[in-house]
Amino acid sequence: MQRNILTLLILGVLIVAAALLAQFMGIRLYERIATTMFVSMILVLGLQVFMGNSGILSFAHIGFMGVGAYTSAVLSIPDRMKGMALPDLYPILETVQLSPYLSILAGGLVAALVAAALSYPLMRLSDAAAVITSFALLVVLHTVLTHWSAMTNGPRTLFGIPEATSLWLACGVALAALVGAIAFKESRAGQLLRASRDDEVAAAAIGIDITRLRWVGFILAALFAGIGGALWGHFVTSFSPRAFYLKETFLILSMLVIGGANTVTGAVIGTLIVTFAYEALRSLEATINEAGIMADQVIGLTEIVLALAMIAVLSLRPGGLFPAREIGTLLTLKRRKGGRS
Amino acid sequence: MIDVKDLHVRYGAVHAVRGVSLSVADGELVTLLGANGAGKSSSILAIAGAIKASGGSVMLDGRDMTSANPEAMLRAGVATVPETRDVFPDLTVDQNLTLGAYARRRDRKSVAEDRARMFDMFPRLAERREQAGGTLSGGEQQMLVIARALMSRPRILLLDEPSLGLAPAIVDQIFQMIADLKAQKLTILLVEQNARKALQVADRAYVLRLGEVAGSGTAREIAASTDLDALYLGG
Amino acid sequence: MDFAVQFIINVLSLGGAYALMALGLVLVYGILKLVNFAYGELIMVAGYTLHLVGGSPLPWLVMAAVAVVMAMVAGLATDYVAFRPVRAKSVTAVLITSFAFSTLLQNAALLFISPRPRSVPLPEIFSQSVMIAGTPTPMRDIITIAAAVLLLGLFAFLMQKTVLGIAMRAAATNFTMARMLGVPANLIISSAFAISGLLAGVVGILWIGRIGTVAPAIGLEPLLIAFIACVIGGMRSLQGAVLGGFLLAFIDTTLNYTLSQDLLKFRDAFTFSLVILILLWRPDGLMKGPATGQRT
Repeated sequence: MQRNILTLLILGVLIVAAALLAQFMGIRLYERIATTMFVSMILVLGLQVFMGNSGILSFAHIGFMGVGAYTSAVLSIPDRMKGMALPDLYPILETVQLSPYLSILAGGLVAALVAAALSYPLMRLSDAAAVITSFALLVVLHTVLTHWSAMTNGPRTLFGIPEATSLWLACGVALAALVGAIAFKESRAGQLLRASRDDEVAAAAIGIDITRLRWVGFILAALFAGIGGALWGHFVTSFSPRAFYLKETFLILSMLVIGGANTVTGAVIGTLIVTFAYEALRSLEATINEAGIMADQVIGLTEIVLALAMIAVLSLRPGGLFPAREIGTLLTLKRRKGGRS
Repeated sequence: MIDVKDLHVRYGAVHAVRGVSLSVADGELVTLLGANGAGKSSSILAIAGAIKASGGSVMLDGRDMTSANPEAMLRAGVATVPETRDVFPDLTVDQNLTLGAYARRRDRKSVAEDRARMFDMFPRLAERREQAGGTLSGGEQQMLVIARALMSRPRILLLDEPSLGLAPAIVDQIFQMIADLKAQKLTILLVEQNARKALQVADRAYVLRLGEVAGSGTAREIAASTDLDALYLGG
Repeated sequence: MDFAVQFIINVLSLGGAYALMALGLVLVYGILKLVNFAYGELIMVAGYTLHLVGGSPLPWLVMAAVAVVMAMVAGLATDYVAFRPVRAKSVTAVLITSFAFSTLLQNAALLFISPRPRSVPLPEIFSQSVMIAGTPTPMRDIITIAAAVLLLGLFAFLMQKTVLGIAMRAAATNFTMARMLGVPANLIISSAFAISGLLAGVVGILWIGRIGTVAPAIGLEPLLIAFIACVIGGMRSLQGAVLGGFLLAFIDTTLNYTLSQDLLKFRDAFTFSLVILILLWRPDGLMKGPATGQRT
C-alpha cells in the first residue's frame, strides 16, 4: 500500500509539474501539446488497465476513443449549430444539449457500453486470435463512425463542438485516470486477472472466471478511452473519423510499450517520453521542410523514427522501460537494500 | 567421447543443475539415476543444446560444444530422445522417420536402407507405417522416437526416461532393445528413474540428487551400494 | 442461371485470393507462433515495384515476377528487422515490432514515393471478358481462380511430399524437437517468410489488378482479410486458413448481393458480426490444428 501511494505521488507530481511547466512557459503551443499529452495519457492508462493486467494486446482502443468523442459531440453541440453540423441527425437528438462535462461522462459511459456489448466473445479467444480480432474491431468501429452519417457527419469533419477542455481539466482527469489505473491494478479483479495472465491453466483450475475478468478490464479500458476521446473532442472542437484509426493506435501503443505495458509507471513515463520525442521530430520535419533542404515535402519521417525506436527498445528491453515494478516499489527496494549494508 | 564438466542450468531463480560432471566413453552405456527433480532431464537438454547452460562445459571428442545449438549437436553425431517423446502427432510414422534422417537426406540410398532396417527392428512400426504418429500407443511412440533418432546414424544417443508411463511388459521390450543397441556398439547416455532396469544394462552410473552428483561408479558398485528404494523416493 | 454462375465465380475467385492470403499468414504463425502485422505491406511492396518498373520495356509477366520477388525479399526483411531481434523475448513484443515495421514501410512509401495513389501497369487480359455459360466473366477472375488452384496445389505438394514441407510442419508442432533432429531453424523460418512473401506477392498482383493503382495503405484490407480468415479457420491449421478464406469470401459475396444500397457501406461491420458469432460457437476456429497441448 505504501509503495502504491509513493507511486501515485511521484507520478502525480510529474503530471502536475508538466502542466505547470506548460502554463508558465506562456507559449500557447506548449499548452496545446500538454493538453493533448494528458489526453494521450488517459488513453494509455486505459490501455494499460487492460493490456497490463490481462497480457492481451488490444488494437481496438482508439475506436472507443472515437465512440466517446462522437457521443459527447452529439450530446453537446449547441441547438443552433446542430442543423449545420449534423444535418441528418435523428429528431430525438436534435433538441438534446447537455453541458460538456456531462457529455464527456456520457461519452465514456457509451464507449463502455459498446465495449460491453461487443467484446465478450473476444475474451474467450486465445492470445493471437484475440489480438487479431481486436484489430478487426477497430476497423469495424472506424467503418461505422465513417459511414453513420446521421450521427457523425460521415467521413466529413464534424464541427461545432463546444470548447471545454482546459489544460487543467485534462490534467485533472489524467490524475483521476492514474488513480483509477492503480486502484484497478491492486484490486482483487486486477490481481486475479494478472494471475490468469501468468498462468491460464492454473488460474482456471482455482476457479477464476478468466473471460469475465478480461471483459471487466476491457470495459474499464473503454471507459477511459471514451472519456479521453470526449475530452479531446472538446479541446479541438472539430474532428473526423480519420482521427481514430491506425496512426493514433500506433502512437499510443508506442507510448505504452516503450514505457512498459505491465506497469502504470510505464504508461505515464512512456507517454511523457514519446510525446516529447514526437513533438521534437515533428518540429524537425517542419524545419527541414521550411528550409527547403529536400526537394519534396518530408512527411512520415517522424513515424519512421518512432517505429525504429520501438523496435530498438523492444529488442533491448522487451518489457519496456518499467517492465515489472512500479516506481514506488523500485525506490523502496533501493532504500531497503541501502539500509542493510 | 562426451565430457561434461561443472554443468549449471538455471531456470530463472531455480538452480536445477549445480555443477554436474560426467563422462561417457566410446561404446559405453552410462546411466543417470535420481528421483524426480534431481536435474537429470535438465542436464540432458543442456548437453543436447536444447536449453542454455548457465555454466560449465560440454566437450565432444575434445571439441567445445557447450554453446552449440541442437542442430549442430545432431550434426556432430549426438541424437536426443527427450523425456516428452515429442512424436510429431500429425506426421505419419514414415514421415517422422524421414525427419530423423534430415541431416542425411541427400544420401537417399542409405536413408532408404536405414528405413528398411528400422522397420525390421521394429515390426510394429512397419505395420503402422502410414498412420499418424499421434495415434500410436505409448510404447509404440517410444519405439518410433528411438527409431527416429537412430535414422541420423548417431555416434551417441541421449535417451531420457524411455520407460516413463509404459506398462511393465513394454518396458521390458524397450530395455531389450536398448541392450541390443549397446551390443551394436552404440554409445548411450541413459536417464532413468527405473534404476533397477537401468543398472542391468549399464556399464557405469551416476546418481543425481538435487542437481548434484551424489555418487558414481560401475553399475555393479552402484547397484550394491545404493538403497534403490531410497533413490526412487528421494531419500 | 446467370446469377448463379456469376455468384460461384465471384466466390471462387475471391475465395482463392483470400485463401492464398490467409495461408501466407498462418504459415509464419504456425511455425513461429507470431502474428505478422507487416504482412499486408508485402502487397504494397509488390504494387510499388510494379509501378517503379512500369516504365521499362520488359514484358508484363517479367515485371510481375520481379514484383513477386520483391515481396519475398520484403518478407525476409520482416524477419530480420522485426522478428529476429525480439523473437526470443516475448510474444507481445513481436506483435508490436511487426506493427512498427508495417508503419515504417508505409511511411517509407509515403516519404520516398508519394502519398498519392500511383498507377500500375496491367496487361490487357485483365480488362477483358469471356463468356462462361452465357455470362460475361472478367478474365481477371478466371486468372485468379487458376492462380489459386495452382498455388494451393503446389503448396499442398510442398507440405505433404517434400522434406522441407514436412520439416516445416514439424517445426510448427515442436520447433525444439525438430532442431534436435537436425532441422536448421533459420532455414525453416526463412523458407516460411519467403513462401509467405510469394503468396502475398501473387495475391498482391491480383488484388491491385482489380484496382489499378497502389497507395501506402493498400495492404490494410488484405491483411484484415487474412487475419479474419485465419481466426475463423483456426490459427494453427493450414487447411483452416484455406477454409476460412473461402468462407469469408462466401460471406462477403453474399452480403454484396443481399445488402441494400444503404447498408452496403456497413458490409464489413456485418461480416465482422458474423465472424463474432462463429467465434462464439467455436473460439478456437473451425478446424483443429496439430495437437501440441500448448497455448496457442
